Amino acid sequence: MRETLFILGVNHRTAPVAVRERLAYAEDEIVAALVRLKESAPAINEVALISTCNRVEIMGVTAVGTRVQDEAAEFLAGDRGVGVAAFGPALYHHEARAAVRHLFRVGASLDSMVVGEPQILGQLKNAYARAAAAGTAGLVLHRAFHKAFSVAKRVRKATLIGHGSVSVSSAAVSLAAKIFDTLANKTVMLIGAGQMAELTARNLKRLGIQSLLITSRTFENAVALARKLDGTAVPFDSFRPYLKLADVVIGSLSAVEPVIGPEEFEGVIRERRYRPVFMIDLGVPRNFDHRLNELENVYLYDIDDLSAVVQESIGDREREAEKAESIVDLEVESFLKWLDGLDLVPAIKDIRTSVEQLRELELERHRAWLASLGPGERERIESMTRGLVNKLLHRILSGIRDGRAGIPDSVYAAEIARRLFSAELAIEGGVLIDDDSDEDDEP
Amino acid sequence: MNTVWLIPALACYALSAAGFAMERAGLHGRFARWAVLLLGGGALLQTGDLLMRGIQAGNVPVTNFAQALVFLAWLTALAGLVVIVHLRMPVIGVYVAPIVFIVVTLQAATMRQTRLTMPQSLRSAWLPVHVTLALLGYALFVLAAGVSLVYLVYEKRLKAKRPLRPTDERTPSLEKLDRINYRLLGWGFLMLSLAIVTGSIWADATWGRFWSWEPAESWTLIIWFLYAGLLESRLTVGWRGRRAAALTIAVFTVLVGSFVGVSLMAPGKHGGNFG
Repeated sequence: MRETLFILGVNHRTAPVAVRERLAYAEDEIVAALVRLKESAPAINEVALISTCNRVEIMGVTAVGTRVQDEAAEFLAGDRGVGVAAFGPALYHHEARAAVRHLFRVGASLDSMVVGEPQILGQLKNAYARAAAAGTAGLVLHRAFHKAFSVAKRVRKATLIGHGSVSVSSAAVSLAAKIFDTLANKTVMLIGAGQMAELTARNLKRLGIQSLLITSRTFENAVALARKLDGTAVPFDSFRPYLKLADVVIGSLSAVEPVIGPEEFEGVIRERRYRPVFMIDLGVPRNFDHRLNELENVYLYDIDDLSAVVQESIGDREREAEKAESIVDLEVESFLKWLDGLDLVPAIKDIRTSVEQLRELELERHRAWLASLGPGERERIESMTRGLVNKLLHRILSGIRDGRAGIPDSVYAAEIARRLFSAELAIEGGVLIDDDSDEDDEP
Repeated sequence: MNTVWLIPALACYALSAAGFAMERAGLHGRFARWAVLLLGGGALLQTGDLLMRGIQAGNVPVTNFAQALVFLAWLTALAGLVVIVHLRMPVIGVYVAPIVFIVVTLQAATMRQTRLTMPQSLRSAWLPVHVTLALLGYALFVLAAGVSLVYLVYEKRLKAKRPLRPTDERTPSLEKLDRINYRLLGWGFLMLSLAIVTGSIWADATWGRFWSWEPAESWTLIIWFLYAGLLESRLTVGWRGRRAAALTIAVFTVLVGSFVGVSLMAPGKHGGNFG
């Protein structure tokens, strides 16, 4: 029986979050859902369920020519209590090569909302682990998932798909790393306790900063944030003397006029003995005078500058994604070759048995003569015949595998060879077997 | 005179320069690793070349300007390897490898028939000490100028707000570049100071006077003061970063000018060597 993969689901491109959230599964629901799915759709031989915030997908294995997408979609609708009509138009369905390609692209983070984001691989590993736990993953899915993991690894190694910053706060953090060798001895100052400033401070803190100063128009906000982030609150009307301590200054005030100008800051820089300062202006209108960037060893990035950095990294990732696609294509081919080879296994086994039986039959015929020989000579004949059989088989089987017989479909070629050999066996045994009646006993 | 070591050394240097350039052009970081190995291989082969010459001359092979330059290139390659490997700064290779390659190629092209003859006055145990210290100091200044150049290029990009290219993940931070520049200057200055001291002692032993105000000596003193000022400005006023990098390159330009000028026009008893 030839098997093939299918995938059916919705993702961030085809369905809005309102649809995705209704179909999504919680982690601990998945094993039970897989068991239910297998029961309700017996044509599905193996199945896994991938559910993240960006996708809900059923990935499975069926016999070639079996149509299961309606069953799977109906299962999803019934199981989640959502009418098929609600998500039907968003549903995509891939089979065989397209399904394998889809799985590999998902794993390599090519199908992600932010291309190259690293979480998807872990999510895919979870999906696989749950299918394995539910007992719904078999030979083909095991292989397909493992291959997807290794493709993802290869893509990460061979391309820069995961490089660059794709959010404003991560861009700010990676810029800090371009200016400073270490943040461990650096002081960060927040002017304004805005949400993006908090996020950026958190990200910087994760790299380990020395101290965090927070000032805000409303002192209570500064105190509250300082408590949250383990920093020190500074009253707004006396924050200026502290400026010279700060290596990173993050502004997020809603102010009409810039709160720091170049004349003032030039003095600060001199007092700092020209140690570099990274200024991140998240305020609109801007908190820091844009001329600060012209001061020596001052690097000022406003929200647009940071967004430009983000846009550029996204562009870089898209270019890298093209390289990744060709890696995926190659791996898809190699997987399909393996899957095709899998179909040959039963026929090859039959041929091997038939030929081996011929050999034994022949030895049996000469049993009396063989018995008259010494043990060394008997062994010699045994190994001679075995060698002959193996060489013959190798030539035939390798010919079938690489289509040397002129038959591109190797399964078909194997079937022909199988019939030829079993017919010979039937005549040799003196019993005529009707080949057609044999058909139903195929493994 | 060429030894059998020279051509393979050149090939290594050329490939190394290409490797570093490819890494910077945005290809895989693996290229830098190969380039480092090739730079090391080149330096090793050149060591063989210098040893052969040294054995023939009976001392460090620095009897003329070209040879001093080659010796300097070799020291630059070695010091560069230390910076690249020990301080993890492959970006410096894109500067070191081509310089070393060009200088050593000039040697291969111009010194074919020169036989080494060591003047009697130079046959002294002081020669290797004095020359090695002086040229090692210069090699460190070469590297400091290179680090400063990288600093300026990179700084400009950060100021212009186009900083994040994929290769930048392998470029060190401004702070690190600045610190390494400072360290190279400090060590170079120390070597230069020691070279002046040993040179004076040697001069006293040979000619009976410590200092004779010949052009090489005067210029060395000027350069010593310039580097002293450079270090001083960092320690007192705190000049660092962009300004320090620009000044490092400016002083280095004076150094190159005087090295070439004095050696070619007014060699004095340094015998074509400004060391």
